[in-house]
Amino acid sequence: MNEDELTPLELQSRRLFDASVERVDMRVRSRLNQARHAALAASARAPARFLGLPAWTPAAGLGAAALLGAALWFGGLPGQHALTADAQAGFEDLEIVAATDDNNGDALEMLQDDLEFYDWAAEHGAEKGVEKGVMADGNSVG
Amino acid sequence: MSAFVTLTHARMAWDDPARVPEEASLDQTRELEKFLADVERRAFRIAQVALRDADDALDAVQDAMLKLARNYGAKPSAEWRPLFYRILENGIRDLQRRRSVRKRLMAWLPGPKEDPDGEAQDPLDSVADGGPDAPDLLMQAQAMQQLERSLRGLPARQREAFMLRNFEGLDVAETAAAMGCSEGSVKTHYSRAVHALREQLGEVW
Repeated sequence: MNEDELTPLELQSRRLFDASVERVDMRVRSRLNQARHAALAASARAPARFLGLPAWTPAAGLGAAALLGAALWFGGLPGQHALTADAQAGFEDLEIVAATDDNNGDALEMLQDDLEFYDWAAEHGAEKGVEKGVMADGNSVG
Repeated sequence: MSAFVTLTHARMAWDDPARVPEEASLDQTRELEKFLADVERRAFRIAQVALRDADDALDAVQDAMLKLARNYGAKPSAEWRPLFYRILENGIRDLQRRRSVRKRLMAWLPGPKEDPDGEAQDPLDSVADGGPDAPDLLMQAQAMQQLERSLRGLPARQREAFMLRNFEGLDVAETAAAMGCSEGSVKTHYSRAVHALREQLGEVW
């Protein structure tokens, strides 16, 4: 508050107050001095803050990291499904089927040949019957 | 040359990052000490006017200093003043509340009753012995006592607004932050306080 803007009463009040501050006795001054030093010592003992973050931030960070680690270790995050053994076997089959062999041709073609053969064998077995010791194409065994 | 020195200091700080927070903390501590030293006697007088007791006023100021240093020492120094006075005013209100409870309890107990006006200070107590200005000082002390009596007769919020604005020189925004109210309320409380004091004391007493 600028002194020029003050009414005489406000100005008088302020001057009286300032004068009374100057008259504060030595006993009080000494106690205030001690109180100030105690406050500064307490401030030095207070936990340090980094970049204005609260003191509990490192603990919270460690806790969050531990929780994330546990979630990943025991089956992934919520909403994610662990890869089951069946699904994994299916992937491996697909890999085998899709794999190419340069010497023997395409694995898919081989699989198709096998399927045709099994189909033919099943048809003949159903129509003529397969007798013991005779193969499906009529040749005797042994 | 000074640019070179600045660069050298910056380089040293870069080489040893531990120096930066340490030095910043030291500066902050020095600044806090200066702030408390500047404010402590005025804060004591404000508390003394409100509480009418030197020891209670000392307790309130000591508590405010501790809380400010411990909880808000890391805040920018521009925020300290309103924060400090907010803590102090809260402490004063707590002490007044405790005192009124104690008074009510004492009224039920037998024994000597307390003086309702608290201890009546002799203006001569606060005047230094002898010296050429003694009569002036005595007049000042008497006028201040009159002002204090009138201030004690005001509602608490008006008294707070008057002391923070007039005695401590806080602006409206700082006073609002210290009192925990709007700037409009500060203006209202302050103008009512000035009006009431003028009615009691006259323009210049």
